[in-house]
Amino acid sequence: MSAAAELIRGVSLVKRFGGIVANDTVEFSVVEGDLVGLIGPNGSGKSTLINMLTGHLPPDGGEVVVRGHEMRGQAAHLYAAMGVARTFQLTQLFGRMTVLENLLVPGLTRPGSTWRSVVQQARSTLDFLKLTHLEQLHAKNLSGGQQKLLELGRCMMLEPAILFLDEPFAGVHPHLRDQLITRIQELHEAGRTFVVVDHDMESILRLSKRLVVMARGRKIADGPPADVREDQAVLAAYAGS
Amino acid sequence: MTWDYIFVQVANGAVIGIIYALIAVGVTLIFSILKIVNFAHGDLYMLGGYCAYYFIALLGAPPLLAMLLSMATLFALAIVLERLLLTPLYSDATERKDEYGLIITFGLAFFLRNIAVIIFGPYPLKPPSFIPGVQHIGEMTVTNDRLFAGGVGIVLILALLYFMHRTIWGQALDAVSQSRESAAIVGINSRRFNSVAFGIGAALAAAAGALIAPIFSLAPDMGVLPNIHAFVIVILGGMGSVLGSIFAGILLGEAENLFTAFFPDPTRALAYTNAFGLLILMVVLIVRPQGFFGRRHLRME
Repeated sequence: MSAAAELIRGVSLVKRFGGIVANDTVEFSVVEGDLVGLIGPNGSGKSTLINMLTGHLPPDGGEVVVRGHEMRGQAAHLYAAMGVARTFQLTQLFGRMTVLENLLVPGLTRPGSTWRSVVQQARSTLDFLKLTHLEQLHAKNLSGGQQKLLELGRCMMLEPAILFLDEPFAGVHPHLRDQLITRIQELHEAGRTFVVVDHDMESILRLSKRLVVMARGRKIADGPPADVREDQAVLAAYAGS
Repeated sequence: MTWDYIFVQVANGAVIGIIYALIAVGVTLIFSILKIVNFAHGDLYMLGGYCAYYFIALLGAPPLLAMLLSMATLFALAIVLERLLLTPLYSDATERKDEYGLIITFGLAFFLRNIAVIIFGPYPLKPPSFIPGVQHIGEMTVTNDRLFAGGVGIVLILALLYFMHRTIWGQALDAVSQSRESAAIVGINSRRFNSVAFGIGAALAAAAGALIAPIFSLAPDMGVLPNIHAFVIVILGGMGSVLGSIFAGILLGEAENLFTAFFPDPTRALAYTNAFGLLILMVVLIVRPQGFFGRRHLRME
């Protein structure tokens, strides 16, 4: 075992929607410095798992532990305060705010922040994402890919311990997708921890250090990407049998 | 008909318009954050007026201080009401939230109005003036209370705009109004801002009630008409737009006042005032259904 600290752990997580078991006693843990790819066919329970781990969906069973704290019953904004950041499958920006303002809000809500330092941090984040020229545009006028970049930037403003990206590459122009991958890699090299959910197998394999595969609400594989690719259960799940 | 007459009518219209705007801006704020129309808003305005009256009559507070105390009282009372009555709006288990909000605030309006009759009595009460006396403009006069009401109203509206646009809390409120989920992921407790929005809306209505009391006196049913006006204004301005409410409030005040002042038959003019306000609403809805500052899509995800 490595000595890296465990940032988040889902213990026997269960979620049911009506008669469907979306997550069936899923164990999931991420340590500091990980870059986890989470894949699985549609309806395999990936988004449900992420929603439970980030406080957006209360689990029907099991427990989420963030940096040693049991989170039972807590609201989503407290997860953010504990350093858990996320993006959404369908981008959720503050559409009527400018690109810059979208980054100021998370910065300003952090305790002890000052307006001047937050503006500075927001500008350098925009610079990093190469969005500086769009600073005064309303967020709703950005292209899909630019919105994904901005949503990543908004997460970074929280200086999170762990970032969950829910389908960051879906519907993004290939050029911007490469840019997004580069940014994630740079952030990871700088020490950030990521969990990336996507269908784009090529991007996920390029990125991840560890691959988790889900099928029918269960985790069926977890390990280095090279091993997981050879796994018979994974091949079977993707063959649709 | 002289220029003095026109000037005084415009001034009176502006004062009433600013009072309308103070009430309507609260309805807008509550609508954009809680996504409900507060049908009890006029009754919070009534309570604000009575509150200020009793701070003056029982505690001997100076009128301006009484107004501020009344705002603070209504802010606190509104938060209690919001916590008690509106919590089901935030639960995923509640299915018909719009209907719930409508019925609960309608019920609250009747409750407050009737409890006011029991506690305060049905007879009109008049608090002392903020500043006694009148100003002469040519042959016409304007009472100091009207000028004071207009001035304080403008200060409060400017303070609200500053709060909304230049403070961290205002930015957070704006964030919650645009996307609750996004607000949560950046660490904003949107439940707290439901209370803040309801409290601020009530406090502004209380200020309007306290400012209008020396001009029109207090009565338990005084909130009924301003309530209707507030909805007209909110729709005219574009649902959810604070600037739109301010603009439409002043416009409606001016339009009603000038219409009444220049109606050919002065014996009937006053009776038609409200009809004229609704006429403007109908014309605007035909020409510009989203209101002056309105956006087409109201519901945020």
